[in-house]
Amino acid sequence: MASLDDLLRRPDLWRARERGGTTSQPPGRSTGYAVLDRCLPGGGWPTQGLIEILTDRCGIGELSLLMPALAALGSEEHGEGWIAWIAPPHQPYAPALAACGVDVSRLLVVRGQPAEWAMEQALRSGACSAVLGWAEFRDHRALRRLQLAAEQSRSFTVLFRRLRDGDEPSPAVLRLALESGPEGLVVRILKSRGGHASTVRLGRLDPADWASAH
Amino acid sequence: MPAPVKRRATPGGVPSSTPAREPPRLRPALGGGRGSNDPARAAAASRELWLAIHLPDYVLESLRWRATLAGAAAHAPGGTAVVDVEDRGQVVCACDAAAVTAGIARGMALNSALALLPSLHVLPRDANVERALLDAVATLATGFTPRVALEPPDAVLLEVRGSLRLFGGVRCLLAEVRERLQRLGCVPRLALTPTPLAALWFARACEEVVLRRREGLASRLAPLPLACTRWPEKSVQSLATMGVRTVGDCLRLPRDGLARRFAPELLLTLDRALGRAADPRAAFVPRPRFTARRDLEPELSDTARLGLAVEPLLEELCAFLRLRGHGVDALELTLLHREAPATRVRLRLVAPATQAAHIAGLLREHLERKELPEPVRALRLRSGPPVPVAAVAGDLFARHAQRTAGVPQLVERLRARLGPDAVHGLRLVAEHRPERNWGHSLIFGNRGHSPISASQRPMLKMADQKLGNVPYFPCRPLWLLTDPQPLPGGERPRYGGPLELEEGPERIESGWWDGCDVRRDYYVARDRAGARLWVFRERQDGGRWFLHGVFG
Repeated sequence: MASLDDLLRRPDLWRARERGGTTSQPPGRSTGYAVLDRCLPGGGWPTQGLIEILTDRCGIGELSLLMPALAALGSEEHGEGWIAWIAPPHQPYAPALAACGVDVSRLLVVRGQPAEWAMEQALRSGACSAVLGWAEFRDHRALRRLQLAAEQSRSFTVLFRRLRDGDEPSPAVLRLALESGPEGLVVRILKSRGGHASTVRLGRLDPADWASAH
Repeated sequence: MPAPVKRRATPGGVPSSTPAREPPRLRPALGGGRGSNDPARAAAASRELWLAIHLPDYVLESLRWRATLAGAAAHAPGGTAVVDVEDRGQVVCACDAAAVTAGIARGMALNSALALLPSLHVLPRDANVERALLDAVATLATGFTPRVALEPPDAVLLEVRGSLRLFGGVRCLLAEVRERLQRLGCVPRLALTPTPLAALWFARACEEVVLRRREGLASRLAPLPLACTRWPEKSVQSLATMGVRTVGDCLRLPRDGLARRFAPELLLTLDRALGRAADPRAAFVPRPRFTARRDLEPELSDTARLGLAVEPLLEELCAFLRLRGHGVDALELTLLHREAPATRVRLRLVAPATQAAHIAGLLREHLERKELPEPVRALRLRSGPPVPVAAVAGDLFARHAQRTAGVPQLVERLRARLGPDAVHGLRLVAEHRPERNWGHSLIFGNRGHSPISASQRPMLKMADQKLGNVPYFPCRPLWLLTDPQPLPGGERPRYGGPLELEEGPERIESGWWDGCDVRRDYYVARDRAGARLWVFRERQDGGRWFLHGVFG
């Protein structure tokens, strides 16, 4: 019986009765944007597993989308973890991060390839409460490994990829495609375990406003 | 007869010089005073109680000890024998119980032994490992008393009078010592007497006695065979031809005659054993650093296999550190070649490490990137000074502790593979110029490189506090371009199309005092695709536009 219990506890196992329903969906961490929270199962970012964000453009709000959750990580009671930035496309700007409420002294910026290896190490170390990575995945198996590491680590794991990668299947728990609309950021939910595909218009995101409001 | 191989063994207990001239390197004298005519010293000496730990099977035990450190099985099934390579490897110098059952004995030719037991596992003798085992035993002994002396090659002496009460009496102390030694894989002979030499003789003769008083010493020593004294072979033989075979026989001989006919050491050691003469001992000082060497047979040129070959040395290092409760934050692995100069791998750790697996992982990353000029003949591992490790108190709900503990290891692993500059942290600097109000913080131990001067620190602290509570600069992009990118355009900048200026200008003029004068007007701009950019126009040199950041 113990082995069955072990199986049922595995987060990467889907149970048919939960499919589509939100009955026993573990509560997520709030995204900080109420419109988006309502569309995600568990009412926020999933606490385990890989989150993929697909975007071709820098500057449409792809980081602002994460900022409230990253800021909240530092204040969680079991937080105190580090935030790893693996192979970011530009330099994360410390004053702006601090203005969003992120603890700058607990950031780890990692340059160099292979980025997917560095992401996996960061996840397996158990030292990071969040791992943000920018990596190209040619190999489906490597992606699968990353997803497994993310499931086991309980870190907030976000992988940034190109929009065209959205056509390929992915083991990620949540996949969002970000585009810029006339009045701001448009988030398309491509895949959401236990949820539905939908489109959310978030408008202009200003994480500094969010930080000062809380 | 406990006859450890004589070729290599320095005869224990026999000082090589005359009594008046003790070897000069004996620094702190242990066993009482210089002469017995000083009553205070004699009284102190008479209160001493020496425990001798003798390892009759140290040749085999040392090899097994090394094997267990390496994680291999300590016992080969079906007989093991050790041969001395320097003695051309023809003679068995130690063997285990299974080999003895098969009829193999010490001193037997290797060929005869193999004929008796074809499955015999033959190991080469390793003097370095033997010495390391003795050091390990002595280090273990320092846990019982501060007064420990080595008696190479196979014994350690402990003065334990002051420790008896702490350990609950002689029986408990002996049981504890025996148990700790058995955990090392040694089967010791223990003897306790008021003089170190007598204890050693009893232990060598496999007589586990406990004698607290000096009175009965002579009569108890009397039946011991002279072999346990390890006097020069020649003297023992000529004594035997005279019918003198035991210590008691020797004691009955007239003193002046014995002194005249044999080396003066004989009389002196007898006096020392009985407590009539002082017996100073060099104190054992644990090595401050760890060094170990391993010869590779055959030579290796594959870095992956080299990584495996280092592991036993690392296990030894970690055992060394564990005994002291220390960690190590620097080590050097030297790969020795036949002709080419040695290859060195230096490892600097961000936090003191105590785990062999962790160090092995880092070394493997370093080794993989090394170009080896020739196959490697031997490995030498040398540690930096041991660093005290703060014991981490476990958290009952151990989430937090585990997280912070993992960061140094993570950083090390990333640096080992991606390069020393691949990982950095961020910090805030009290500055107005955007390219200067942040900086890399070199995490873990390297903070000394911080370019902030002491005078700036209070300012920085203020800025930190301010930034912690309220947004300091309201309109800053999350991405910064390390080098501003020039943009074409006159009144309106272009970046894949004309940019729409949404906010601004925010003027930043600063730095005239240090040569990096900045006079800029910053704007928030939006491009056609909807990305928000941070651009500036220089207020000098013709007002060129630059892209400096992206609002991610």
